[in-house]
Parts: sequence; C-alpha cells; structure tokens
Amino acid sequence: MNSTEKLQPAVIIDTSGYAAAGEEIRKEAARLLEQKIVDAVVGYQAGRRTGSSQPVVITDPAQAEKLVFSPTCVNNLSLYLTKAKKEIRAKGKLAVVAKGCDLRALAGLMGESQLKREELVIIGVVCAGVHAAGVASGEPLTDATIAKKCRECSVHIPEGADLIVGKLPELPNLSPTEKELLDKLDAMTPAGRWSYWKEQFTRCIRCLACRQVCPFCYCEQCLCDRGRPQAVDTSPRPAGNMGWHIVRAMHLAGRCVGCAECERVCPMDIPLNLLNRKMAQELKGLYGHEAGLTPTEKGPLTSYDEKDDQSFIK
Amino acid sequence: MPHDFEPKIVAFVCTWCTYAGADLAGTSRMLYPSNVRVVKFPCTGRIDPVFILKAFQKGADGILVSGCHPGDCHYMAGNFHARRRFAIFRKLLEFIGVDLARLEFSWVSAAEGGKWVEIVTELTGKIRAMGPLTQFTELADEEQWSGMLSNPELKAVFDQV
Amino acid sequence: MALTISEANLRLLIDLLIGAGKRVIGPKRVGEMTVYEPLLSGADLSPGTLPRRSAKEAFFPLSETILTYEKDKEGLKVTDVDTATFPETVLVGALPCDAAAPQVMDAVFSWDYKDEFYLERRRRTTIIGLSCTSADDSCFCTLVGLSPTETKGSDLFLTPLVGGGYSCQSISDRGGELLANYPHLFSETASVTPLPPARPEGGPVDLAKVKGWLEEHFEDEIWEEVADRCIGCGACAFLCPACHCFDIVDEGTEAKGVRRKNWDACAFGKFTNHASGHNPRDLQNKRYRNRFMHKFKYYDDKFGKTLCTGCGRCIRSCPVGIDIKGILEEIQKR
Repeated sequence: MNSTEKLQPAVIIDTSGYAAAGEEIRKEAARLLEQKIVDAVVGYQAGRRTGSSQPVVITDPAQAEKLVFSPTCVNNLSLYLTKAKKEIRAKGKLAVVAKGCDLRALAGLMGESQLKREELVIIGVVCAGVHAAGVASGEPLTDATIAKKCRECSVHIPEGADLIVGKLPELPNLSPTEKELLDKLDAMTPAGRWSYWKEQFTRCIRCLACRQVCPFCYCEQCLCDRGRPQAVDTSPRPAGNMGWHIVRAMHLAGRCVGCAECERVCPMDIPLNLLNRKMAQELKGLYGHEAGLTPTEKGPLTSYDEKDDQSFIK
Repeated sequence: MPHDFEPKIVAFVCTWCTYAGADLAGTSRMLYPSNVRVVKFPCTGRIDPVFILKAFQKGADGILVSGCHPGDCHYMAGNFHARRRFAIFRKLLEFIGVDLARLEFSWVSAAEGGKWVEIVTELTGKIRAMGPLTQFTELADEEQWSGMLSNPELKAVFDQV
Repeated sequence: MALTISEANLRLLIDLLIGAGKRVIGPKRVGEMTVYEPLLSGADLSPGTLPRRSAKEAFFPLSETILTYEKDKEGLKVTDVDTATFPETVLVGALPCDAAAPQVMDAVFSWDYKDEFYLERRRRTTIIGLSCTSADDSCFCTLVGLSPTETKGSDLFLTPLVGGGYSCQSISDRGGELLANYPHLFSETASVTPLPPARPEGGPVDLAKVKGWLEEHFEDEIWEEVADRCIGCGACAFLCPACHCFDIVDEGTEAKGVRRKNWDACAFGKFTNHASGHNPRDLQNKRYRNRFMHKFKYYDDKFGKTLCTGCGRCIRSCPVGIDIKGILEEIQKR
C-alpha cells in the first residue's frame, strides 16, 4: 500500500439506522411469536465479542429482545431453512430475517421447491452493507471494511419481504473490486489463469465450509463425499481440490445467487465467489438468466431452448 | 506411419446416434486413428461434466463428446440439456485455464459414419500437434508441503548453500 | 545476565539450519495471510502474528501417504512409506498455544497403538517457541492453564526484547544442542527488557469444575442453544492445534493406488455415519457437543490433559460465530 493511499480517510458508510431496524425486528419477532403466527424466528443475536453477532433461532416471545441488526450480521440465514437443517425445520412454521442478498437465496430455494412462500414469514432488512471476512467485529463499516459483494449491491432493499424494516442511507460510490479482479483474470492467458487457480486451490484444506454454508448445497448425499464411484478425490491435495472446486462451481451454476458466503467463510481466503460470479455472468450472456430474482421453477441448466447457441458443436 | 506422440483421446458418445455412427464407420471398413477410446452412454444428457474432468485427470490428452443432432434425441430433449450444460462447462474450464482446443463436441447421427471418421481424424491430428496434456497429471503428483516426503525446493536451496 | 540472539542472527540461524539440510518451518506471509510453511531462507520468517493454521501440520500432515499398492499378474505388491525419509525439522517462531499442542497430542498417538507417522515426525522436530505479545478478543490461553509466556512444548524459547532481538531460554536437551551448535549466534547481555507479554481477556477457568459440569450435563439445553447454529464444516477442527482426527482413504484404481491419511472433523455429518445408515450423532448440536466434550472431558478422562490450548482459531474461523471461550465462561458460571 502506498503512503498517500494510507493517509486518505476511510469513507464511512452510514449504519446509524441499523439500531432502529433491530428494534423493529425485535417488535415484529415478538408479535409473530406471541400471536403464534410462527413457531420460531431465525435472526441474529449479539455475540460475546464487542460488536459481533451470530445466527440464533428463538421460539419464545421473551427471547425476541435478543435480536439485533448490525454490520456484523453477515450470515445468509436462508441456510437454516433448508432440509440440511432438519432440526430447525422441525420447530414448525418459521420466520426469517433477510437482507436483500439473502432474499435472493430464499427466492432461489422456493424455485427449487425447497421452501414454500406461504409457509414462511420474511422480515426484510434494508441494508447498506456488512463486514468483510476477517474484519474485527468492533470496527465501523467503511470502504475498507465492507464486504466485496456489498460494493456492488443492487438489492439494498429486500423487495417482496412481508415486512421491510430500516431505511436506506445515502451511499457512497464504491469501486467494484471483485469485478475488477474478474476482468483481470479474464484478460489473462489460460496458462496464467491455471497458475492463479492452482495456487488458490492448493491452499484449500477441504474443511468444506464453502459447501456447508451454501444455502444451495442442501443435498443429503454430496457427490464429492462418495467413495464408490469416487467422482472427486477426497484428499486435500492439489488435484482433488481442483476437482472439488470445479464440481462445486458447476453444481451451483445457474443456482448461485451471489451471497458470497462461501468466500466469506473460507479460512484460507480463496476467492470462491469469482467462480460463481463468472458462471452467473456467462449464463446471463448465453441464456439471459439471473438466479434469485423471482422464484422460477426451471433454472438455465434444467431447461433449454431449441434455438440455443451451438456454435461450439461440430 | 508411426508418430512420436500418440495422444489418448476419450470419446463420450450416446448409444443411439454417435455410437451407431462409429459402428457404421467400422462396418463400412472406413479407416480412422485408433487413438480414440469410445465410452458409450445412453444419452449425452447422461454425460456428467465430472466424467470429462476425471478423464483429463486420468491422462486423456483430448476429449470428444458426441450425440444425436438436435431434434433426434431418443429421449426427446437429452441433447438439448447437454448442450446447455457443456456450453457453460466449457466456460468454466476456460476460466480455470484449460485450453478448450482439447475438448470437442459434435453431433454425429447413426448414418454419419463418414462424419465420425472426419471428426476423429481431425481431432487426433490437432491433439497430436498440441502434444500431451500435462497440467492435470502433473497436478496429481503434487502434495501440500506437509505431506511431502522430500522437499525438492528445499533441496535446491540446500544445494545452493 | 541473559542469553540473547539478535533478529539478524535468528534469521542467520534459519539460513544455517536450512544449509545443514533441515526443513525449517515458521510463520511466513503468503498474500494477506500468515501461515506456517517451510521457509526458504531466514528472510521468509514473519514472527509474532498467529498463523491462520496451527503448526500441527509439521507432525500431522493435512494429507499423507501411508502406503502404495500395485497389482499385476504376480500378485499384489504393497510398499510402506519409509519413515526414515521424514525430514529433520525445526519449527521456529511457534507461539505458546501452538508449541504446547504437540505434547498434548503425543498421548493419543502413542497410546494403545504407536502411530509411527506422527511419532517419527515428532522425534525429528525441534521447536523454537516464541513468547506472545499480542492478543485479540478470541485468545484464551490463560483460561485453559497456559499463558503468552508459557514455555511448555518448546525446546528453545525466545522472548522478544524492547529494542529488538530475543532473549533465549533452553528448555530441553535439544534446545541446549541448538545453542551448543551455533554458539557464535548467541551472546550474553547484561540486562534485557522483554516486550510486555500479551494479555488475553478473562481469568483462568476451573477446568475440573467444567469437567464436573460436563459429566452431569451430557443432555442439556445448552448444546441446542450454542450449536443448533453449527453448519457442520471442519474449519474449527482443521485450524485447531490439538484436533487430531483422521480418515484413511484409498485413492487410485483396483490395480494401482495410494492409501492416504487425511484430516477429519467430528462436525462432519459423515463422521459417525454407520454403514447401516444409522448415525448416532444425528443432529449437528450432538456433533458440537462431542467436540467440546472431547476437549474438556474425554481427553482428560483418558490422558489427564485438556485438548485445547486457547489459540482462538475456532472462534475466529467459525462461519456462524460459535465461541468456545464464551461457552467455557458460561459453564464456569453455572
């Protein structure tokens, strides 16, 4: 980093409205539980560390006071509504706190018949941005601490939620750092890209946080866990890692809504959302499809058009 | 004529069209390079991108995926689905840094023995000129540092000292 | 009088050790991250920051080959890995929470079965520990009976000094050997002022009391409360200096392949999945309970040790904010 850059004051993102949004969430959650409209609310609560927060499931209206909203409410809570989380589904009818990006995942899951809109209450939160991975929880939200996805967010307001809480402040213009990196990679030679990804994937330790945190990785039997036949080597070595990340990107193509949770949770800082984003970009170009805008039954890879491009086929 | 390098080419084909086309080429006594290993599937719709990946990892230098022409699918739409899947899979491989010249797609009907011969001959020539695909096989031999039994890079440093 | 080594001489020591054919592993900057990796020279050393992953890889690789097999007409040929080829290693700059962990793991790897892979790597490793000078709100070594100046597990222990350099304390014969082999790099200094050690928040936890509570509360609401949110990844276990579960897999074909020992994690749903399909730990909170119980009860029952050094990596890396320090403090209060 050069010194002039360092001297520039950080651009502060106004999150003063988050506290009021939290208050509205608490009120709504208490009401939903009291009136027995839902059996449980999936939201965020404060963690032990200053400013931190974590997902929580509450079932008692008295617990509603625990709920918060802050720049550390990074999780995409739609994950907890899928069949991968049976114990939470078992609680009955659910309400969920959702930011705009999370709402897209909910729409995607509805499209895949994993959720029913009428069985779900969505408390939408207007969001100006959340923390990037690795930022200390007490830090304010600035252009230096904001998540990459939030720099290019187009869904600050969760349209379509049952209740929308919070107000959108005036937002600074932030450079699209992820897009810039994607463009840089696209401009490289294939050999350059191979060495880039090889280096990234070699770091992978196969903790599978990327898979476990993904709302769309709800399969009860993952192809990559299978031994016979073994599609992908399970050993955390460069070859198997490459296989795993290619399969992961392919299985999410046309489904991923870009919440970038995979990248946030990667303990080895692998820019996984680049792969998802590249796939989404190509699918939009080829078939005009964007995932998670509305619940659609057929994704781009489960449907076809007889006139699809086949210039690559002899 | 012997060559210095005989590429290994794997052809994933559907049983109804391309396999029958290749069969026709054989029964018609047409000649084509024996570099191609044919793997038969019920439909191109059954050809998982993982198979392509696995073939590269196991040492294939080139891959051909071939099935029925649009509209001819025995299962009505298998090849339409495959077409989309492979269109996007190609983009993914390209993004990872695989040279797409090593991955070919074609529609070959049961009557097109000649087209089969043409495609296989051309692909074999192209891959032969490109040389062996080493990126995946070399990767298979790599270890994370902690799993290495010897450390060649440290050996090099040691030798310098 | 105190024995000291300058920053430059420490780096020179690393160069000399590499020159002597040793594998020197230490904290190294890779991109935005610090990780333990083999150093190519003393200049690579980036001491003082807690690396993203623990140092256990020096003894317990992420993935290691344990045998290779080949089948032909003559029959099956199995080739074992020759443990004599394991590299002589010096682990340098290990912070106390990383340096103390191998001693804890020794117990399980030399219990009813002697794991030569682990033990041989251990025998071939010298640990140069480094006193810790910065803690964040995830650190909790002081809660589990260690401290930022703990020398346990180190062969030679360095304490950073005001004005640069380190004071050196030989803890074991191996540490003494190192001092004896490179005497010109060390010097006697009349008076030294160590940098103030890190001060992790929170007082010590009564681990016996926690264990007692765990004995009574295998079934308790707390597990749902803290771990229903667990998503079942292995980030905590893989970053942990003391987690040591592994899985053995065969990779290759029927005719030729490799048997490998890979890290495994109790948070994975498949970890206890039986061949019948039955899974005794069917819910995620039961899997987390096992992780916690293993660290603070089962391991103590068996080996009289706590399987946690308080490095805080699991807290920092948890995608859903599960906080083992907070849980310890909560149980202490009960």
